[in-house]
Amino acid sequence: MVRTPCDLDLLLFLRRHPQTLLTSEQLAAFVGYPMKEVAESLDLFIASGLLERIQNPMHAARMYLLNMDHPQGGGPRRLLDVASSRMGRQSAIRALRSERPSNEAKSPRDKTQDKLHLVRIA
Amino acid sequence: MPALDIVRSGIGGLDDILNGGIPRGNVILVEGSIGVGKTTLGVEFVYRGAAEFDEPGVIVLFEVSPDKIIRDAKGFGWDLEQLQKQGRLKIVFTTREVLRQELQQADSVLLEEAAKMGARRIFIDGVSRLVGNDATVESRSAFHVLTEGLQREDLTAVLAVEASKLNGNGNGSLPEESIADTVIRLAMYDENRAVSRSIEIVKSRGHDYQMGRHSFRIMDGKGLQVYRRVQAPRKPSRDRAAAFDPTTRLTTGIPGLDELVNGGYFVGSTTVVAGISGVGKSVMGLQLLNEGVRKGERGLMLSLDEQVDQILRNARSIGIDFRPAIEKGLLRIEYEPPQEIEVDAHFHHIEELVETFKPKRVLFDSLSTYGSSLGTKGRLFRDFFHALVSLMKEHQIVAVYNHENPEMLGMATMMGSFAMSSLVDNIILLNWVELGDSFRLGMNVAKMRANPVIRITRECEITSKGMHILPRELPGTTAPFSRYNALVSRAPERRLLPEPPPGGKGRRR
Repeated sequence: MVRTPCDLDLLLFLRRHPQTLLTSEQLAAFVGYPMKEVAESLDLFIASGLLERIQNPMHAARMYLLNMDHPQGGGPRRLLDVASSRMGRQSAIRALRSERPSNEAKSPRDKTQDKLHLVRIA
Repeated sequence: MPALDIVRSGIGGLDDILNGGIPRGNVILVEGSIGVGKTTLGVEFVYRGAAEFDEPGVIVLFEVSPDKIIRDAKGFGWDLEQLQKQGRLKIVFTTREVLRQELQQADSVLLEEAAKMGARRIFIDGVSRLVGNDATVESRSAFHVLTEGLQREDLTAVLAVEASKLNGNGNGSLPEESIADTVIRLAMYDENRAVSRSIEIVKSRGHDYQMGRHSFRIMDGKGLQVYRRVQAPRKPSRDRAAAFDPTTRLTTGIPGLDELVNGGYFVGSTTVVAGISGVGKSVMGLQLLNEGVRKGERGLMLSLDEQVDQILRNARSIGIDFRPAIEKGLLRIEYEPPQEIEVDAHFHHIEELVETFKPKRVLFDSLSTYGSSLGTKGRLFRDFFHALVSLMKEHQIVAVYNHENPEMLGMATMMGSFAMSSLVDNIILLNWVELGDSFRLGMNVAKMRANPVIRITRECEITSKGMHILPRELPGTTAPFSRYNALVSRAPERRLLPEPPPGGKGRRR
């Protein structure tokens, strides 16, 4: 379910703030990714049932309610437990990036290790 | 007229100074400087509501992340996570900008969520920058909009606002104060390098409350504990009890003393035993407690001077073993270090001890240490002593206060700079009397309210069995006190008696 660094960081933010009331701009600023990427991540979690979004079309802010007890929550919960430390988050991000085409410069050995680590934690 | 719907905060001691709680729907402004305890108060208000009063609640945070609030609450024993899982609590993270916009809308998403869970309480942490930090019309109206939004939902709201200028004496006021229904001011003040916290109800619409600056502490495993200021009026019964029972007396446990005090101390009476250090005040007190133990009466000793083990050792030196009585629950000995006594908290502790342990005899060792800790110049010490006396009378306790009088020989005043003898029923003076090359111990019953008093200086002795009063005529060659004039005047004189008739038995001089 967690495909990109943005997915991971958004999930980490939402776990620290499981009930948030923010505008899209504010959420993107807190998470530290472009709005478009954050929107894609939000859509993913909402579709999986991990996240509920409550909105009033007249308001700019949306209420996000994270439900880690959802049947889909087991894997992400284990990943978040590991990524809650700095080292763990960096490893997870390296592993996620290694899946992306832009990371071709990385050595094959690093990629293998990151993947192995991510498999272990998720 | 329907009865007022009062919301109990559930915070230790706070409802007492609020005379029960706060009218439902009030907007409560909690103001104070950084670190004073505003967030703890607000979180506890919501936690107690959800956990103890079946009133779900919402906590709104701007800067602190909810996981930190949950972590910190665990230290107080509050399981916020569990309450969230049970749907009785929501911790919402947002920004001031969003909240301001939200509350300006009649269909606020936040308040709708609060209504869905049946929330009755809300805490918003850090309102100051939400409404602006100045007294402009805009900031007042922003705050007004906020309170209207909360009142629409009939939420009892605690709003924390940072107000560093109110630190210390708490002078000044914030523009929000006039709009809020209840204003609670928290402050930290330092005295002799110690820092204490105070809480004051500045105003509260719709009910009566106890004015003045009370104390509070933030305690691990508990949360806030508010201590009513010692001067604040208590139950009316406490003052009515001041007329003590004029028939029941408790014996003193000092052989010979009961005769001097008309059979013992009245229940509900206040006795001060005054004398220099080492003269035997504590010995007298230990015997008073031991006499109670012997008769199956509960006793309590509150010591500021010596620790419990030392007191037990002292008691053993006069043949008293208190351990079985302590184990049986007949006796309690409490020690509190006199440094940095917070008088409201200390008095609260004594009140709790008296109300739960229900002693018949209480010994304070010593009043002079309270004096040096609280200072005898201002009103605080006198107010504290007055509150103690009233408490003891309400519970019909024989209370004995040891008091160190600085004078080694004789006494020019009974209580020195402690101008409180008018509050005391009985005063017993213990003096060293220098006769020849010896210090001998004299005792005077200087005052016994509503009792005849025989003002004769009697000699006492302390042995391995404790203190006892010697007879006025002594066997052997030692001249008794009755052979002297001016024993307490620092220059006693042997009284010259007429020569015995020739052939008659010689008399001691």
